[in-house]
Amino acid sequence: MSEQQPVPRPSHAGGPPREGRSGPPGAGGPPGGRRGKRQYFRKKKVCRFCVEKVDFIDYKKVEMLQPFVQERGKILPRRMTGTCSKHQRWLGVAVKRARNIALLPFATEL
Amino acid sequence: MAERLYDLIFICMPTTPEEEITKIVSTLEQTASEHGGKVEKVEKWGTRKMAYRVAKQREGFYVYLALHSTQGALIKELERRLKVSDAVIKYMTVRLDEEIKRQQKLVAHREHRARRRPRKPAAAPAAGPAPEQQAAAS
Repeated sequence: MSEQQPVPRPSHAGGPPREGRSGPPGAGGPPGGRRGKRQYFRKKKVCRFCVEKVDFIDYKKVEMLQPFVQERGKILPRRMTGTCSKHQRWLGVAVKRARNIALLPFATEL
Repeated sequence: MAERLYDLIFICMPTTPEEEITKIVSTLEQTASEHGGKVEKVEKWGTRKMAYRVAKQREGFYVYLALHSTQGALIKELERRLKVSDAVIKYMTVRLDEEIKRQQKLVAHREHRARRRPRKPAAAPAAGPAPEQQAAAS
């Protein structure tokens, strides 16, 4: 409920697709949030693993890893899931292990 | 000689009879004890769908072992046996002791912090507005 004080957030979030921008998605340079008066206030995402105080991401629990993997098998980037860098690193390792033993796909064939 | 902890998962053909899988597991256990290791846990996950095709199969019988070992030669031998076995179509060994050590360290750190700086009871500010609301309603 902090809509009363529109504090301009630093544009490190970078994740939400901004409308009215025609450049490629990778071209989001440093002046990301300063474009006209339109500023998006996105609720800050919190790392799900930090909330639950996860110390070890188990590669065997597929249902735990599934939300962080796209349907085609890609690992979702941090900017979309809000995972912190530490847990994203562990998550990457876990997903790669799960892939090796056919618990998760490298890429799903059609 | 530090003791190391490993996870060993292997996948058998879905057509493999149960007895054969039990036999494979027991030979692995025997090999482990010969090399000074020990199989801590055996879990048969049963037949489940694989994420991609392995050996032209879409399903496989997963078996999971957790084991202790003091020498890497044991892992080599176990993997060799799995490779030779016809029923086994895929296997993977992961060394986990370092990660578990890290995990224990994190848990210890958190507990230490919790002991040193106990949370102040948050009851006082939370209980504040409630009586006012009640008073306004009545």
